[in-house]
Amino acid sequence: MDFFILEYTPILFLLLISIGLASVILGASYFLGIQKPDTEKVSVYECGFDPYEDSRNAFDVRFYLVAILFIIFDLEAMFLFPWAVSLGHLSSMGFWTMVDFLAELTVGFIYVWKIGALEWE
Amino acid sequence: MDFLLLHQNHFKMFLPEVFLATAILMLTLYATFTVSSHFLGHPVLTQNFSKMCLLILFLTLILVHNNTIPFMLTYQSTFIFDSLTTNAKEIVIFFSMVCIYIFEDSLLKQKINNFEYFILLLCAVLGLMLLISSYDLISLYLAIELQSLCLYVLAAAKKDSTFSTEAGLKYFILGSFSSALLLFGISLIYGSTGTTNFEDLSLLFAYTSSDISIIKSVDIGLIFIAAAFFFKIAAAPLHMWSPDVYEGAPVSSTIFFAVIPKIAMFSVFLRLFQTVFSNLQDVILLIVIFFSLVSVVVGSFVALKQKKIKRLLAYSSISHVGYMLLAFSANSIEGTQALFFYLVIYMITSLILWSILLSVNTKDNSDRSKTLVDFSFLSATNPLLALTGLIAFFSLAGVPPLAGFYAKMSIFLATISSSLIFASVFAILTSVISSYYYIRIIKSLYFEKRDNTTFFVPVTRSCSLTMGVSSFLLIHFFVNPTLLSLLAEKMALCLF
Repeated sequence: MDFFILEYTPILFLLLISIGLASVILGASYFLGIQKPDTEKVSVYECGFDPYEDSRNAFDVRFYLVAILFIIFDLEAMFLFPWAVSLGHLSSMGFWTMVDFLAELTVGFIYVWKIGALEWE
Repeated sequence: MDFLLLHQNHFKMFLPEVFLATAILMLTLYATFTVSSHFLGHPVLTQNFSKMCLLILFLTLILVHNNTIPFMLTYQSTFIFDSLTTNAKEIVIFFSMVCIYIFEDSLLKQKINNFEYFILLLCAVLGLMLLISSYDLISLYLAIELQSLCLYVLAAAKKDSTFSTEAGLKYFILGSFSSALLLFGISLIYGSTGTTNFEDLSLLFAYTSSDISIIKSVDIGLIFIAAAFFFKIAAAPLHMWSPDVYEGAPVSSTIFFAVIPKIAMFSVFLRLFQTVFSNLQDVILLIVIFFSLVSVVVGSFVALKQKKIKRLLAYSSISHVGYMLLAFSANSIEGTQALFFYLVIYMITSLILWSILLSVNTKDNSDRSKTLVDFSFLSATNPLLALTGLIAFFSLAGVPPLAGFYAKMSIFLATISSSLIFASVFAILTSVISSYYYIRIIKSLYFEKRDNTTFFVPVTRSCSLTMGVSSFLLIHFFVNPTLLSLLAEKMALCLF
């Protein structure tokens, strides 16, 4: 039990502090700020689209294409961070594995670029 | 330099895979620059690419065959190389070559002009090769994902057809679901044993009795893995995706789905269940028998009602999977040998069937999917094609002077000698029912009159060559099955 308390007390404090801080910040801006609502201000902002509408309408597929490509390359960049941090502990195998990975990623990038998936018009 | 020395041997074993992967990258670059070039006028690369794929696969086949080391575990024993993997890879690559060879014209006719089709196909073959070799649950999962992601896209390759898109989407959603089951099973096993490696697991379970408490969660994990496996090979009652996907996907992709992946799935999961978890087989074998009998029944009875050839072949493949699972449940060298024998015979036979399906084109039916009517009275317009069909369907039904009979007989002999009397008698009785619809097709090939005589588009050279060689093999393996049964025995011996 002692062990349990020792391990989890900091987390409890962190939780309390974060709840307190969040309510102070939100509450202060709610009560002290000057509020003059209009339609544009209170409507939900979601990347330029109305989030609550009929889902069966025409929607440019290029948004998805760009979003998917962005996510792919974003995820690939994510692999680089742990590799960069632990590069000192790795053998040359670890280094060349990542070089290989990046080379293959570049092939994918060249493909996407040349095939015209990144062009808007 | 130590890196080179250390990994020289590992790299040598991986040479075919590395070659194939490099070739895929090179092909991608080449095609990207050629297709997007104004100067060359944005050429269609289908013919070019199918030849190059054949060449690449042929070179990979030689590299696989040329491997001199009989047994090796590579890269922290995540991959295994023995004569099972070598032979299974050779079979996969060879049959992929034949598939590409026969459906090139169909691709041109269906106007699937994307060069990505071939690249995805090669990626799927790469995934299957890695799958056959995998010796760790993680590499198993990654290889399965590599090949299934490619197959999902291949199912949806005909972009302007609603059926094809629907097939791709169905395959994708259900396939991801089964992958999730697989991952859950893997996580249960990892959670209770702390390892994902096949070798460690087999050592861990070599002498355990079944009353240890962790065995329960390992059992549950194995059941989940088995469910994913049954899903991937489309065994009933987890078969619902396969008729829809077979029917919706363009016929070229369907040929690949129907012929190639089963042998890879079987070889890796047989290794998992028969060597790694051989002490925990009670639960698994019961489930295998259940799935086998249900597949045989569903495959036989539901196929009776099918009008469309692709759906009928899908159900027939479900019932054949049932027989293979019956051989699996025999759990002996003879059973596993019979399984591989049956699998290869089945692949050869389905090559004939799909080539016939590619060949019965008339002027007005080339766009829609073929029904039984398209086969009627083929014997008058193209007697040789009808004769080939007769050989293939009789072999599927298991009629004596053909290899299919020998394949089915060895399965039933193996199951009876493992004293699964009820299951084998049941399967034999259902195989009688399933032979009804094969013989019905033969009846429409030979005896059903057609009102207006139609002429078929000439059979392509690739299809006729494939059909000729395959039907010769079906007869040859009945007369002299030594070659194939030795090969199957060599593969089976690796698992015991």
